[in-house]
Amino acid sequence: MIRALREVEGGLRLLMNVWLRVPALRRAPVRESFLRQIYFTGVTASTGVVLRASGLGALIIAFTMQVLDADTSLAVKILLWVVLREVGPLAAAMVVILRTGTAVSAELAMMRISGQTDTLRRMGIEPYDYLVVPRVMGVMVATAALTCYIQFLAVAGGMILSPFVIQASFTELYTRFFDLVAPVDFAYSLLKSLMFGFAIALTCCYHGLNPPALSLNGVPQAVTRAVTQSAIAVLVINALFAYLVFGVLFFGLVKAVV
Amino acid sequence: MSALALRYDLKRDGHAPVSVAVPGGTTQRVRLPDTEARNHLVGAVLSTRCGLDEELELFGEPVRGLKRLQRGRLHERIGVLTQAMGLISNLNAWENISLEAAYHGTQPIARIAQTAREALQSLGAEPQAFLARLPDEMDPFERKLVAFLRLLAKEPALALIDGLGEGLNREQSARAARFEAEYRARQPEGTLVFVDLAEEEVP
Repeated sequence: MIRALREVEGGLRLLMNVWLRVPALRRAPVRESFLRQIYFTGVTASTGVVLRASGLGALIIAFTMQVLDADTSLAVKILLWVVLREVGPLAAAMVVILRTGTAVSAELAMMRISGQTDTLRRMGIEPYDYLVVPRVMGVMVATAALTCYIQFLAVAGGMILSPFVIQASFTELYTRFFDLVAPVDFAYSLLKSLMFGFAIALTCCYHGLNPPALSLNGVPQAVTRAVTQSAIAVLVINALFAYLVFGVLFFGLVKAVV
Repeated sequence: MSALALRYDLKRDGHAPVSVAVPGGTTQRVRLPDTEARNHLVGAVLSTRCGLDEELELFGEPVRGLKRLQRGRLHERIGVLTQAMGLISNLNAWENISLEAAYHGTQPIARIAQTAREALQSLGAEPQAFLARLPDEMDPFERKLVAFLRLLAKEPALALIDGLGEGLNREQSARAARFEAEYRARQPEGTLVFVDLAEEEVP
Protein backbone atom coordinates (compact mmCIF):
# COMPACT_ATOMS: atom_id res chain seq x y z
CA MET A 1 0.00 0.00 0.00
CA ILE A 2 2.77 2.40 0.99
CA ARG A 3 4.72 1.43 -2.11
CA ALA A 4 1.67 2.08 -4.27
CA LEU A 5 1.18 5.51 -2.70
CA ARG A 6 4.86 6.29 -3.17
CA GLU A 7 4.62 5.27 -6.81
CA VAL A 8 1.57 7.46 -7.35
CA GLU A 9 3.33 10.39 -5.68
CA GLY A 10 6.50 9.76 -7.71
CA GLY A 11 4.48 9.50 -10.90
CA LEU A 12 2.73 12.80 -10.21
CA ARG A 13 6.02 14.52 -9.49
CA LEU A 14 7.47 13.12 -12.69
CA LEU A 15 4.39 14.32 -14.57
CA MET A 16 4.86 17.87 -13.28
CA ASN A 17 8.57 17.71 -14.03
CA VAL A 18 7.98 16.63 -17.61
CA TRP A 19 5.55 19.46 -18.38
CA LEU A 20 7.79 22.06 -16.78
CA ARG A 21 10.81 20.76 -18.68
CA VAL A 22 9.34 20.56 -22.18
CA PRO A 23 11.41 23.63 -23.27
CA ALA A 24 14.48 21.38 -22.90
CA LEU A 25 13.54 20.07 -26.36
CA ARG A 26 15.23 23.17 -27.75
CA ARG A 27 18.61 21.69 -26.86
CA ALA A 28 20.16 19.75 -29.74
CA PRO A 29 20.90 16.43 -27.95
CA VAL A 30 17.43 16.37 -26.35
CA ARG A 31 15.78 17.05 -29.72
CA GLU A 32 17.89 14.32 -31.29
CA SER A 33 16.82 11.89 -28.59
CA PHE A 34 13.18 12.92 -29.16
CA LEU A 35 13.42 12.22 -32.91
CA ARG A 36 15.19 8.94 -32.23
CA GLN A 37 12.36 7.95 -29.89
CA ILE A 38 9.76 8.73 -32.55
CA TYR A 39 11.73 6.66 -35.05
CA PHE A 40 12.07 3.72 -32.68
CA THR A 41 8.51 3.78 -31.37
CA GLY A 42 6.67 4.80 -34.52
CA VAL A 43 8.65 4.00 -37.64
CA THR A 44 10.26 0.69 -36.71
CA ALA A 45 7.05 -0.59 -35.12
CA SER A 46 4.97 0.29 -38.17
CA THR A 47 6.38 -2.45 -40.40
CA GLY A 48 5.31 -5.19 -38.01
CA VAL A 49 1.67 -4.14 -37.77
CA VAL A 50 0.72 -4.04 -41.47
CA LEU A 51 -0.62 -7.59 -41.79
CA ARG A 52 -2.12 -7.78 -38.32
CA ALA A 53 -3.90 -4.45 -38.57
CA SER A 54 -5.27 -5.02 -42.06
CA GLY A 55 -6.45 -8.49 -41.05
CA LEU A 56 -8.14 -7.04 -37.96
CA GLY A 57 -10.66 -4.99 -39.92
CA ALA A 58 -11.58 -7.89 -42.21
CA LEU A 59 -11.88 -10.23 -39.23
CA ILE A 60 -14.22 -7.88 -37.38
CA ILE A 61 -16.45 -7.36 -40.41
CA ALA A 62 -16.57 -11.08 -41.28
CA PHE A 63 -17.13 -12.08 -37.66
CA THR A 64 -19.92 -9.52 -37.14
CA MET A 65 -21.75 -10.52 -40.27
CA GLN A 66 -21.39 -14.22 -39.54
CA VAL A 67 -22.23 -14.26 -35.84
CA LEU A 68 -24.69 -11.40 -35.59
CA ASP A 69 -26.15 -12.04 -38.99
CA ALA A 70 -25.64 -8.33 -39.59
CA ASP A 71 -26.02 -6.41 -42.78
CA THR A 72 -23.29 -4.31 -44.40
CA SER A 73 -24.45 -1.19 -42.65
CA LEU A 74 -24.09 -2.66 -39.17
CA ALA A 75 -20.74 -4.20 -40.06
CA VAL A 76 -19.42 -0.83 -41.13
CA LYS A 77 -20.77 0.80 -37.96
CA ILE A 78 -18.92 -1.77 -35.92
CA LEU A 79 -15.81 -1.10 -37.97
CA LEU A 80 -16.14 2.54 -37.06
CA TRP A 81 -17.08 2.17 -33.39
CA VAL A 82 -14.88 -0.76 -32.55
CA VAL A 83 -11.84 -0.42 -34.81
CA LEU A 84 -11.56 3.30 -35.25
CA ARG A 85 -12.55 4.47 -31.79
CA GLU A 86 -11.49 1.64 -29.51
CA VAL A 87 -9.35 -1.14 -30.96
CA GLY A 88 -7.08 1.15 -33.01
CA PRO A 89 -5.79 3.20 -30.07
CA LEU A 90 -5.68 0.13 -27.81
CA ALA A 91 -3.78 -1.96 -30.36
CA ALA A 92 -1.27 0.85 -30.87
CA ALA A 93 -0.89 1.23 -27.10
CA MET A 94 -0.22 -2.49 -26.70
CA VAL A 95 2.41 -2.41 -29.46
CA VAL A 96 4.03 0.59 -27.76
CA ILE A 97 3.99 -1.07 -24.33
CA LEU A 98 5.49 -4.30 -25.63
CA ARG A 99 8.16 -2.73 -27.83
CA THR A 100 8.96 0.67 -26.37
CA GLY A 101 7.80 0.34 -22.78
CA THR A 102 10.05 -2.65 -22.17
CA ALA A 103 12.98 -1.02 -23.96
CA VAL A 104 12.65 2.34 -22.19
CA SER A 105 12.27 0.87 -18.70
CA ALA A 106 15.16 -1.59 -19.18
CA GLU A 107 17.41 1.06 -20.71
CA LEU A 108 16.77 3.61 -17.97
CA ALA A 109 17.07 1.00 -15.21
CA MET A 110 20.45 -0.08 -16.64
CA MET A 111 21.57 3.55 -16.82
CA ARG A 112 20.50 4.16 -13.23
CA ILE A 113 22.13 0.99 -11.93
CA SER A 114 25.40 1.54 -13.77
CA GLY A 115 25.64 5.13 -12.53
CA GLN A 116 25.12 6.74 -15.93
CA THR A 117 22.41 9.03 -14.58
CA ASP A 118 24.96 10.30 -12.04
CA THR A 119 27.43 10.82 -14.89
CA LEU A 120 24.86 12.98 -16.67
CA ARG A 121 24.34 15.04 -13.51
CA ARG A 122 28.09 15.51 -13.16
CA MET A 123 28.16 16.85 -16.71
CA GLY A 124 25.50 19.34 -15.69
CA ILE A 125 22.86 17.47 -17.69
CA GLU A 126 19.61 16.98 -15.82
CA PRO A 127 18.44 13.36 -16.40
CA TYR A 128 14.80 14.51 -16.52
CA ASP A 129 15.67 16.84 -19.39
CA TYR A 130 17.82 14.44 -21.32
CA LEU A 131 16.20 11.08 -20.56
CA VAL A 132 12.57 11.62 -19.62
CA VAL A 133 11.33 14.60 -21.66
CA PRO A 134 12.36 13.30 -25.12
CA ARG A 135 11.07 9.82 -24.34
CA VAL A 136 7.71 10.97 -23.05
CA MET A 137 7.15 13.47 -25.87
CA GLY A 138 8.50 11.08 -28.50
CA VAL A 139 6.34 8.18 -27.33
CA MET A 140 3.27 10.46 -27.25
CA VAL A 141 3.77 11.62 -30.82
CA ALA A 142 4.69 8.14 -32.06
CA THR A 143 1.70 6.49 -30.34
CA ALA A 144 -0.66 8.96 -31.99
CA ALA A 145 0.98 8.38 -35.38
CA LEU A 146 0.94 4.61 -34.91
CA THR A 147 -2.73 4.76 -33.92
CA CYS A 148 -3.60 6.64 -37.13
CA TYR A 149 -1.59 4.12 -39.12
CA ILE A 150 -3.25 1.11 -37.49
CA GLN A 151 -6.69 2.68 -37.92
CA PHE A 152 -6.02 3.34 -41.58
CA LEU A 153 -4.73 -0.20 -42.15
CA ALA A 154 -7.55 -1.83 -40.21
CA VAL A 155 -10.29 0.15 -41.94
CA ALA A 156 -8.71 -0.12 -45.40
CA GLY A 157 -7.89 -3.80 -44.82
CA GLY A 158 -11.44 -4.43 -43.64
CA MET A 159 -12.87 -2.82 -46.75
CA ILE A 160 -10.47 -4.47 -49.19
CA LEU A 161 -10.45 -7.98 -47.70
CA SER A 162 -14.08 -8.25 -46.61
CA PRO A 163 -15.57 -8.68 -50.09
CA PHE A 164 -13.66 -11.99 -50.26
CA VAL A 165 -15.44 -13.40 -47.21
CA ILE A 166 -18.84 -11.66 -47.10
CA GLN A 167 -21.47 -10.58 -49.57
CA ALA A 168 -20.56 -6.90 -49.75
CA SER A 169 -18.68 -4.85 -52.30
CA PHE A 170 -15.79 -2.54 -51.53
CA THR A 171 -17.73 0.46 -52.89
CA GLU A 172 -20.68 -0.33 -50.66
CA LEU A 173 -18.49 -0.56 -47.54
CA TYR A 174 -16.52 2.52 -48.52
CA THR A 175 -19.59 4.68 -49.15
CA ARG A 176 -21.32 3.58 -45.97
CA PHE A 177 -18.20 4.15 -43.88
CA PHE A 178 -17.66 7.71 -45.08
CA ASP A 179 -21.32 8.48 -44.51
CA LEU A 180 -20.91 7.61 -40.87
CA VAL A 181 -17.45 8.82 -39.93
CA ALA A 182 -17.04 12.32 -38.50
CA PRO A 183 -13.95 14.41 -37.71
CA VAL A 184 -14.73 14.10 -34.00
CA ASP A 185 -14.04 10.34 -34.29
CA PHE A 186 -10.46 11.10 -35.30
CA ALA A 187 -10.09 13.80 -32.66
CA TYR A 188 -11.37 11.38 -30.02
CA SER A 189 -8.92 8.63 -30.92
CA LEU A 190 -6.05 11.08 -31.43
CA LEU A 191 -6.52 12.62 -27.99
CA LYS A 192 -6.86 9.20 -26.44
CA SER A 193 -3.74 7.87 -28.13
CA LEU A 194 -1.75 10.91 -26.99
CA MET A 195 -2.86 10.19 -23.43
CA PHE A 196 -1.99 6.51 -23.81
CA GLY A 197 1.48 7.42 -25.06
CA PHE A 198 1.97 9.87 -22.21
CA ALA A 199 0.87 7.38 -19.56
CA ILE A 200 3.00 4.55 -21.00
CA ALA A 201 6.14 6.64 -21.32
CA LEU A 202 5.71 8.24 -17.91
CA THR A 203 5.15 4.89 -16.18
CA CYS A 204 8.10 3.27 -17.93
CA CYS A 205 10.42 6.22 -17.25
CA TYR A 206 9.38 6.27 -13.60
CA HIS A 207 10.06 2.55 -13.08
CA GLY A 208 13.24 2.72 -15.17
CA LEU A 209 14.66 5.53 -13.07
CA ASN A 210 13.45 3.97 -9.80
CA PRO A 211 14.28 0.26 -10.06
CA PRO A 212 13.42 -1.74 -6.91
CA ALA A 213 17.07 -2.73 -6.48
CA LEU A 214 20.27 -1.04 -7.61
CA SER A 215 21.66 -4.31 -8.97
CA LEU A 216 21.10 -6.21 -12.21
CA ASN A 217 18.15 -7.98 -10.55
CA GLY A 218 16.41 -4.63 -10.50
CA VAL A 219 16.18 -4.46 -14.31
CA PRO A 220 13.65 -7.27 -14.95
CA GLN A 221 11.67 -6.18 -11.89
CA ALA A 222 11.51 -2.62 -13.18
CA VAL A 223 10.44 -3.84 -16.64
CA THR A 224 7.72 -6.09 -15.19
CA ARG A 225 6.31 -3.27 -13.08
CA ALA A 226 6.51 -0.81 -15.95
CA VAL A 227 4.70 -3.09 -18.39
CA THR A 228 2.02 -4.18 -15.92
CA GLN A 229 1.26 -0.68 -14.71
CA SER A 230 1.36 0.77 -18.24
CA ALA A 231 -1.24 -1.75 -19.36
CA ILE A 232 -3.41 -0.94 -16.33
CA ALA A 233 -3.01 2.80 -16.94
CA VAL A 234 -4.06 2.38 -20.56
CA LEU A 235 -7.16 0.39 -19.61
CA VAL A 236 -8.11 2.88 -16.90
CA ILE A 237 -7.68 5.84 -19.29
CA ASN A 238 -9.72 4.01 -21.91
CA ALA A 239 -12.55 3.33 -19.47
CA LEU A 240 -12.42 6.86 -18.09
CA PHE A 241 -12.38 8.33 -21.56
CA ALA A 242 -15.33 6.21 -22.68
CA TYR A 243 -17.25 7.26 -19.56
CA LEU A 244 -16.48 10.96 -19.98
CA VAL A 245 -17.10 11.12 -23.69
CA PHE A 246 -20.03 8.75 -24.05
CA GLY A 247 -21.26 9.22 -20.50
CA VAL A 248 -22.85 12.02 -18.55
CA LEU A 249 -20.26 14.72 -18.90
CA PHE A 250 -20.05 15.16 -22.67
CA PHE A 251 -22.94 13.02 -23.68
CA GLY A 252 -23.70 13.57 -27.30
CA LEU A 253 -20.29 14.85 -28.31
CA VAL A 254 -19.42 11.54 -29.85
CA LYS A 255 -22.55 9.57 -30.49
CA ALA A 256 -23.37 6.42 -32.33
CA VAL A 257 -25.28 7.10 -35.50
CA VAL A 258 -27.75 4.24 -35.90
CA MET B 1 55.87 31.00 -9.49
CA SER B 2 52.36 30.84 -11.01
CA ALA B 3 49.24 30.77 -8.84
CA LEU B 4 47.89 27.44 -7.72
CA ALA B 5 45.35 25.81 -10.02
CA LEU B 6 44.52 23.17 -7.43
CA ARG B 7 45.00 23.06 -3.68
CA TYR B 8 43.56 20.22 -1.67
CA ASP B 9 43.88 19.26 2.00
CA LEU B 10 42.39 16.23 3.67
CA LYS B 11 42.51 15.44 7.37
CA ARG B 12 41.45 11.98 8.54
CA ASP B 13 41.55 10.31 11.94
CA GLY B 14 44.36 7.77 12.18
CA HIS B 15 45.88 8.77 8.85
CA ALA B 16 48.54 11.25 7.86
CA PRO B 17 47.03 14.41 6.39
CA VAL B 18 47.01 14.69 2.62
CA SER B 19 48.05 17.93 1.03
CA VAL B 20 48.16 18.59 -2.70
CA ALA B 21 49.20 21.83 -4.40
CA VAL B 22 49.46 22.12 -8.17
CA PRO B 23 50.71 25.34 -9.77
CA GLY B 24 48.81 26.55 -12.82
CA GLY B 25 50.17 25.68 -16.27
CA THR B 26 52.12 22.64 -15.09
CA THR B 27 51.83 18.87 -15.39
CA GLN B 28 51.92 17.13 -12.02
CA ARG B 29 51.77 13.52 -10.94
CA VAL B 30 50.03 13.27 -7.58
CA ARG B 31 50.56 10.03 -5.68
CA LEU B 32 48.14 9.51 -2.84
CA PRO B 33 48.63 7.06 0.05
CA ASP B 34 45.41 5.08 -0.36
CA THR B 35 42.24 4.63 -2.42
CA GLU B 36 40.11 6.53 0.08
CA ALA B 37 42.27 9.65 -0.23
CA ARG B 38 42.21 9.31 -4.00
CA ASN B 39 38.42 8.95 -4.09
CA HIS B 40 38.09 12.01 -1.84
CA LEU B 41 40.29 14.17 -4.07
CA VAL B 42 38.75 13.03 -7.36
CA GLY B 43 35.22 13.26 -5.95
CA ALA B 44 35.81 16.75 -4.59
CA VAL B 45 37.21 18.07 -7.89
CA LEU B 46 34.53 16.29 -9.91
CA SER B 47 31.68 17.73 -7.89
CA THR B 48 33.47 20.99 -6.96
CA ARG B 49 32.35 20.33 -3.39
CA CYS B 50 34.24 19.29 -0.31
CA GLY B 51 33.34 17.60 2.94
CA LEU B 52 33.93 18.81 6.49
CA ASP B 53 37.33 17.16 6.73
CA GLU B 54 38.69 18.54 3.46
CA GLU B 55 39.52 21.85 1.82
CA LEU B 56 39.56 22.44 -1.92
CA GLU B 57 40.61 25.52 -3.82
CA LEU B 58 40.38 25.70 -7.60
CA PHE B 59 42.19 28.53 -9.38
CA GLY B 60 42.67 30.16 -5.99
CA GLU B 61 38.95 30.06 -5.16
CA PRO B 62 37.70 27.97 -2.21
CA VAL B 63 34.80 25.79 -3.36
CA ARG B 64 33.15 25.73 0.05
CA GLY B 65 30.14 28.01 0.15
CA LEU B 66 30.05 28.64 -3.58
CA LYS B 67 26.66 29.44 -5.06
CA ARG B 68 25.24 27.18 -7.73
CA LEU B 69 26.06 29.56 -10.57
CA GLN B 70 29.63 30.09 -9.37
CA ARG B 71 30.06 26.34 -8.98
CA GLY B 72 28.75 25.84 -12.52
CA ARG B 73 31.21 28.39 -13.92
CA LEU B 74 34.08 26.73 -12.09
CA HIS B 75 32.94 23.33 -13.29
CA GLU B 76 33.13 24.49 -16.90
CA ARG B 77 36.89 25.04 -16.51
CA ILE B 78 37.57 21.57 -15.17
CA GLY B 79 37.79 18.23 -16.92
CA VAL B 80 38.05 14.96 -15.00
CA LEU B 81 38.78 11.52 -16.42
CA THR B 82 37.79 9.05 -13.74
CA GLN B 83 38.51 5.35 -13.66
CA ALA B 84 34.84 4.60 -14.23
CA MET B 85 35.07 6.87 -17.29
CA GLY B 86 31.34 7.55 -17.15
CA LEU B 87 30.41 6.81 -20.73
CA ILE B 88 26.76 6.60 -21.73
CA SER B 89 26.26 3.08 -23.06
CA ASN B 90 23.56 3.82 -25.64
CA LEU B 91 25.50 6.66 -27.26
CA ASN B 92 28.30 6.07 -29.73
CA ALA B 93 31.78 7.50 -29.24
CA TRP B 94 31.05 10.75 -31.07
CA GLU B 95 27.81 11.35 -29.15
CA ASN B 96 29.61 10.68 -25.88
CA ILE B 97 32.36 13.12 -26.79
CA SER B 98 30.07 15.90 -27.96
CA LEU B 99 27.11 15.43 -25.57
CA GLU B 100 28.15 17.85 -22.83
CA ALA B 101 29.22 20.61 -25.21
CA ALA B 102 26.18 20.14 -27.43
CA TYR B 103 23.81 20.18 -24.45
CA HIS B 104 25.25 23.31 -22.89
CA GLY B 105 26.11 24.94 -26.22
CA THR B 106 29.53 25.87 -24.86
CA GLN B 107 31.76 24.90 -27.79
CA PRO B 108 30.98 24.78 -31.50
CA ILE B 109 30.38 21.18 -32.59
CA ALA B 110 32.60 21.64 -35.66
CA ARG B 111 35.55 22.50 -33.42
CA ILE B 112 34.92 19.45 -31.23
CA ALA B 113 34.74 17.25 -34.33
CA GLN B 114 38.03 18.65 -35.58
CA THR B 115 39.74 18.20 -32.20
CA ALA B 116 38.46 14.61 -31.97
CA ARG B 117 39.58 13.75 -35.51
CA GLU B 118 43.05 15.23 -35.03
CA ALA B 119 43.56 13.59 -31.65
CA LEU B 120 42.38 10.21 -32.91
CA GLN B 121 44.67 10.38 -35.93
CA SER B 122 47.63 11.29 -33.80
CA LEU B 123 46.80 8.46 -31.37
CA GLY B 124 46.60 5.95 -34.20
CA ALA B 125 42.84 5.40 -34.51
CA GLU B 126 40.72 5.74 -37.66
CA PRO B 127 38.25 8.52 -36.73
CA GLN B 128 35.22 7.58 -38.84
CA ALA B 129 35.02 3.95 -37.70
CA PHE B 130 36.04 4.74 -34.13
CA LEU B 131 33.50 7.50 -33.56
CA ALA B 132 30.61 5.31 -34.71
CA ARG B 133 31.24 2.58 -32.14
CA LEU B 134 29.38 2.07 -28.87
CA PRO B 135 31.30 1.86 -25.58
CA ASP B 136 30.38 -1.83 -25.19
CA GLU B 137 32.18 -2.59 -28.46
CA MET B 138 35.41 -1.06 -27.22
CA ASP B 139 38.39 -2.30 -25.21
CA PRO B 140 39.40 -0.48 -21.99
CA PHE B 141 41.92 1.73 -23.78
CA GLU B 142 39.39 2.80 -26.39
CA ARG B 143 36.84 3.65 -23.70
CA LYS B 144 39.50 5.67 -21.91
CA LEU B 145 40.28 7.38 -25.19
CA VAL B 146 36.63 8.40 -25.63
CA ALA B 147 36.54 9.77 -22.08
CA PHE B 148 39.79 11.65 -22.77
CA LEU B 149 38.42 13.12 -26.00
CA ARG B 150 35.33 14.23 -24.11
CA LEU B 151 37.65 15.93 -21.63
CA LEU B 152 39.59 17.59 -24.49
CA ALA B 153 36.33 18.79 -26.05
CA LYS B 154 35.68 20.80 -22.90
CA GLU B 155 39.01 22.60 -23.34
CA PRO B 156 39.53 22.58 -19.58
CA ALA B 157 42.00 24.87 -17.86
CA LEU B 158 42.48 22.10 -15.30
CA ALA B 159 42.42 18.45 -16.35
CA LEU B 160 42.57 15.70 -13.75
CA ILE B 161 43.21 12.15 -14.91
CA ASP B 162 42.65 9.44 -12.34
CA GLY B 163 44.53 6.14 -12.68
CA LEU B 164 45.48 6.54 -16.33
CA GLY B 165 47.19 3.17 -16.68
CA GLU B 166 44.78 1.17 -14.55
CA GLY B 167 43.01 -1.66 -16.35
CA LEU B 168 45.30 -1.30 -19.37
CA ASN B 169 48.00 -3.64 -20.64
CA ARG B 170 51.55 -2.49 -21.29
CA GLU B 171 50.96 -1.55 -24.92
CA GLN B 172 47.73 0.29 -24.12
CA SER B 173 49.43 2.11 -21.25
CA ALA B 174 52.14 3.30 -23.62
CA ARG B 175 49.48 4.67 -25.96
CA ALA B 176 47.62 6.28 -23.06
CA ALA B 177 50.84 8.04 -22.00
CA ARG B 178 50.49 10.14 -25.16
CA PHE B 179 47.39 11.80 -23.70
CA GLU B 180 49.66 14.27 -21.93
CA ALA B 181 51.17 15.51 -25.18
CA GLU B 182 47.70 15.72 -26.75
CA TYR B 183 46.38 17.81 -23.88
CA ARG B 184 49.45 20.03 -23.84
CA ALA B 185 49.27 20.60 -27.62
CA ARG B 186 45.73 21.96 -27.23
CA GLN B 187 46.00 23.64 -23.84
CA PRO B 188 49.55 25.01 -23.56
CA GLU B 189 48.53 27.12 -20.56
CA GLY B 190 46.43 24.42 -18.94
CA THR B 191 47.16 22.39 -15.82
CA LEU B 192 47.29 18.61 -16.05
CA VAL B 193 47.14 16.42 -12.96
CA PHE B 194 47.63 12.65 -12.97
CA VAL B 195 46.36 10.99 -9.80
CA ASP B 196 47.66 7.59 -8.75
CA LEU B 197 48.31 5.54 -5.68
CA ALA B 198 51.76 5.89 -4.13
CA GLU B 199 52.86 2.31 -4.76
CA GLU B 200 51.84 2.33 -8.40
CA GLU B 201 53.95 3.31 -11.36
CA VAL B 202 52.56 6.01 -13.55
CA PRO B 203 52.92 4.94 -17.20
